[in-house]
Amino acid sequence: MMNPDDPAVVDILRRAMVARIATVSRNGRPHVNPLYFVCRNGKIYLGTVERTLAALNVTANPRVTILFNIESQPNDRRVLRIRGSATVRTDSKLCRWYVVRDLRKYIMTRSGVGNTLAHVRLLPAVRRFVSSGEKGKECVLEVRPETAEFLTAPKRVGNKENKAVS
Amino acid sequence: MKGITLNIDPVEARDLLERVPRACVAFTGDEGPQVELVTVLFKDDRYLIGMPSSGASHLTVDEEVVLLVDDGVNFFDLRAIYVRGHFQELGQVEGLAGDFVWVEVQPTRIVAWDYARIREADDES
Repeated sequence: MMNPDDPAVVDILRRAMVARIATVSRNGRPHVNPLYFVCRNGKIYLGTVERTLAALNVTANPRVTILFNIESQPNDRRVLRIRGSATVRTDSKLCRWYVVRDLRKYIMTRSGVGNTLAHVRLLPAVRRFVSSGEKGKECVLEVRPETAEFLTAPKRVGNKENKAVS
Repeated sequence: MKGITLNIDPVEARDLLERVPRACVAFTGDEGPQVELVTVLFKDDRYLIGMPSSGASHLTVDEEVVLLVDDGVNFFDLRAIYVRGHFQELGQVEGLAGDFVWVEVQPTRIVAWDYARIREADDES
């Protein structure tokens, strides 16, 4: 196990783009889903909305486990696994701060702008999706990391490489 | 009633099971949520999962697990297939990494999404 403020951990968190966060429901059922995230002052902030399984689960059970890898370097098979505790934050100041940081990290970049422009026809649907409140209000999962460790991603095994199942 | 959805037919996300860009399995451990890196083999409509022995040792037969295979970084590139099911033991799998324990996930629910397919659709609830 490593300390979450180890430079190698901080480096992965700085370069990773998608977090896969595992949570457990009130009834003990597992869940994992990918979310965007940003970091500040040793904490990890993941954007979601209140009625997603991730947010509902964190409300019921604050324990979380999160995976991070460097997507821009597919040959780097290191994956960071962080365990910690999370809270659901709905205060508007933090949520606004998160949105600004999220936009800077994911949209206001060369690839983010290109991706958005390539799908500009979908923006009305995105706007409706975000503003509809179907899944509740926007919120942020604030994670306080407790332990960190590096795993090695398994090599990909495509179906074509499969030989037989005995 | 109409709503906005990202969901797609899981068949349309089957390429993720061939390429396996990122894959993990989540389950519930003694200390809360656990998640392990896996490799995936989709064969004859069966979800075969290769796990490190350290991760597989925490699982028990029939335990509920969630397999997530996802891809993408930019907003409209985000895609995933999400398989909730139960862990089953599997015999030896020839020709694959021997340092993995191979298990099968028997699905109870499969969901797939693709942000580039966001659209209006009948409300699924």
